[in-house]
Amino acid sequence: MVKIQKFTDTPSQTAGPFLHIGCTPSIAGINIFKDVLGSTPFKNISLNEEINIKGKIYDGNNNPITDAMIETWQCDKNGKYFNYQGFSRRVTDFKTGEYQIKTIRPGNQIKEDGKISPSYILFWIVARGMNRPLITRMYFDENELKSDVMFKNLNIQDRLKTLIPYTEDKKHFVFDIHLQGKKETIFFEF
Amino acid sequence: MIKKHQPLRKFPDYKSSIIRSPDNEPLLINFSNSEITGPLFNKNILNENDNNLILNFSKNGEKALGQEIFVHGFVKDENGSPLKDVLIEVWQANAGGKYRHQNDPSNIKLDENFGGCGRFITSSDGYYIFKTIEPGAYPYPNRGVEWRPKHIHFSLFGSMFLQRLITQMYFEGDPLIESCPMVNSIPDINARKLLVGKLDLSKTDEERILGYRFDIILRGKQQTYFENKIEGS
Repeated sequence: MVKIQKFTDTPSQTAGPFLHIGCTPSIAGINIFKDVLGSTPFKNISLNEEINIKGKIYDGNNNPITDAMIETWQCDKNGKYFNYQGFSRRVTDFKTGEYQIKTIRPGNQIKEDGKISPSYILFWIVARGMNRPLITRMYFDENELKSDVMFKNLNIQDRLKTLIPYTEDKKHFVFDIHLQGKKETIFFEF
Repeated sequence: MIKKHQPLRKFPDYKSSIIRSPDNEPLLINFSNSEITGPLFNKNILNENDNNLILNFSKNGEKALGQEIFVHGFVKDENGSPLKDVLIEVWQANAGGKYRHQNDPSNIKLDENFGGCGRFITSSDGYYIFKTIEPGAYPYPNRGVEWRPKHIHFSLFGSMFLQRLITQMYFEGDPLIESCPMVNSIPDINARKLLVGKLDLSKTDEERILGYRFDIILRGKQQTYFENKIEGS
């Protein structure tokens, strides 16, 4: 099944501790660009649609990572992806390591086979010490996730809960990411 | 299940990777719509000087200090087809090896005319070019004090999230490349060479600017390691 490609894709390298200069320059005190990329995933989010996600990324010593960047990518409320919206970019706080995203809950997608796939937001994470990005997903509904055929036959049912955020009101979500240990988040590769 | 041309996530010679990489291998799954779509950035987000780091942070029109260089090249997919409309963001240290960043502990002086970042979008034939100064090498704590080779950070958005890439360009002939643990985290020695910008004298000109050529390949939809996938996924 391996297709031989003509060219090797360029290797990844760490984004390093100073990624803010290039990716979120205003946080490094550099204000020369016209706009800030990924400041909000959707324009004009209405109050009744708004959800808030926050969390931290914990390293193997269980310390929050204070120099990471998270990019999120999601569909709209109808499950459709558009190249002009759905993207956000955040860095974790220099002191606390916390990130915060205001967005809307993505809709469910109808897959090619007609089945409905669960609602989730893609998280793409880089930082010093990460030679390659880490990709995970925040799912909204544990039952939806557990019944997804993609995961059903994999021996990871006990770890699937690492992809579910904590919420009390379905408006505010806490999604912590653990790089190692008992709570290690599931990361994906494609 | 190792992509030999991509770096190992856990590479003990690069110490901070030890606690910042998962212990479990990432789960190989089929991509969904979320991976084969992605944000597209329009050229109208750009200012005129966004691709000129010598001038884009200038006070009173003064140039940043250092050896002035062009870096240019093509962004292509694995089959060699040019990728247009790729947003590239770059960032780097100044000529003395100092970043304009609150967390850079270096006591080297900042250059008041140098911010250290730029951005641009590839043309219809996948081409990009920017002007900057050659960054300095600098020491950092790893196994004792080690030196990073001179490098420029690159961030690229293809047309789908699968193609998202952050990497670094090194400079041909820099003797620090060989001992760099970040470079050496790539198992395939030949793939390491893909990160080295080549001196390109055809791009030098009477403006006294030296040229470097750095082509970048972004992956496609092929799941290169399909045969290693877990049954049923």
